[in-house]
Amino acid sequence: MNTGHADAHLDLEDLIAEVTGQAIADRAREHLTRCEHCQLEANRWNLVAGGVRDLTAGLPQAALVLLGGASYGISAALAPHASGTELTAVSGCVTLEEATGTLAQVNGTSLVIKTASGQPVTVTTAASTFMSLSGTLLSDITDGATVDVRGSSSDGTIAAAIVTVGPPFSAVNPPGLVAVRGTVGDASTAGFTLVTSAGTRVPVTTSGDTLVVVPHASLGQLPAGATIFAVGQAGPDGTLSARAVAAVRQLPAGGHLNVSFRSCSPSSIAAALALGG
Amino acid sequence: MNDPHRDAAAATFTADHDGDCDDAALLGKIGQGDEDAMATFYREHGRVVLGQVLLVTGERVLAEEIVQDTMLAVWRGAGSFRGESSVRSWVIAIARRQTRDRLRGHRLRLVDNAYLADQPSSGPGPEVTALDRAELAEVTGAIRELAQSHREVLGLVFGSGLSLPEVAGVLEIPVGTVKSRLTAARTALGRVLTEKGQNR
Repeated sequence: MNTGHADAHLDLEDLIAEVTGQAIADRAREHLTRCEHCQLEANRWNLVAGGVRDLTAGLPQAALVLLGGASYGISAALAPHASGTELTAVSGCVTLEEATGTLAQVNGTSLVIKTASGQPVTVTTAASTFMSLSGTLLSDITDGATVDVRGSSSDGTIAAAIVTVGPPFSAVNPPGLVAVRGTVGDASTAGFTLVTSAGTRVPVTTSGDTLVVVPHASLGQLPAGATIFAVGQAGPDGTLSARAVAAVRQLPAGGHLNVSFRSCSPSSIAAALALGG
Repeated sequence: MNDPHRDAAAATFTADHDGDCDDAALLGKIGQGDEDAMATFYREHGRVVLGQVLLVTGERVLAEEIVQDTMLAVWRGAGSFRGESSVRSWVIAIARRQTRDRLRGHRLRLVDNAYLADQPSSGPGPEVTALDRAELAEVTGAIRELAQSHREVLGLVFGSGLSLPEVAGVLEIPVGTVKSRLTAARTALGRVLTEKGQNR
């Protein structure tokens, strides 16, 4: 375990412990939440672990038949299924299952969601769990926040379609929109002034249609009642060990999440869940 | 003693894993000839052992035979468990010895792999990029093409749920060597992915 400087990157032992769900030091966990380098490394090891689990975890267990106590044979295959009924398999991703519902409560690093059938599902998270929050979250655009604004430009003003709060997240990049990064100033319900690194001040207008995305959200930011989509590995007790969680606040009336992944890689899942589907 | 001709279904155990089960106590019962305890032990560890052996051998029938031999060794040698390691790493170490015995004819290849396994990686490069771009199914396929010693260490760490010190105990190598082998395995994995990408 790396016990050195607080800003030191995670060592291999920490990364493996994180990926395999073992305990890691608070310092390492805190570092992982803000270090893109370590998150990338954790994602790479996660992918390797996923490949191994793909090869080993899905094996049907042969039945053990005792014959007279001195020897035995292995015969007919069984097809065990450990996950609860509230979890459904992610199409095309052998080791992944998903759960959808509304956020009922947060307990430490776990959250409990209530599915459409009213059943609670416990979703556990780790530092490497990708967690996004999205919706019409204009209150999250505050003075001093670093944002990426994407929208249409007219007369030097950008009408924001998507505002991404926090570190750059390339996955939130639909084509056909002007993209400008900077710091928020003069925030109001109607918009704000975006100050670029060059000092240029760009007027930005927002509306009820502006989608605000917090790609790297924390559990504490997820509001009760938000629609939650979680994907990860099913535990034997029906819980879901989340690889990624998307929380959508203020889902449009009659709207529903429809998440599809280009592939099963962590980056693909993160990209899909950044926008809540 | 059971009737060897009894219906196989009657001796088939399908109950879920009991997380509270004391594996060491279970071995004690097995050592006294308790067949139900043996069945419970198999239920708890059989799939993991099979997964690890299959990862190393790549042959299902052979892997099942090795698991069978491993469980027989557990049945006969449960009393020799000294509690110096976890039961999981103990049974996997038995399975590893059984696998090694079965694959003795491939000794030359094993030596080559062992040499290659612990060579230091050349650091970040195209292998890392390949991994970043890879999809899970591609990684799964690429793992099958790794050297046996690379598949083995990946399986022990990510498939069997052992800690790095436990893996070191099973492989009978220092923890530092486990780490370098693990890193080398990932580099080799990236190399396979790179080659596959170039051939597409």
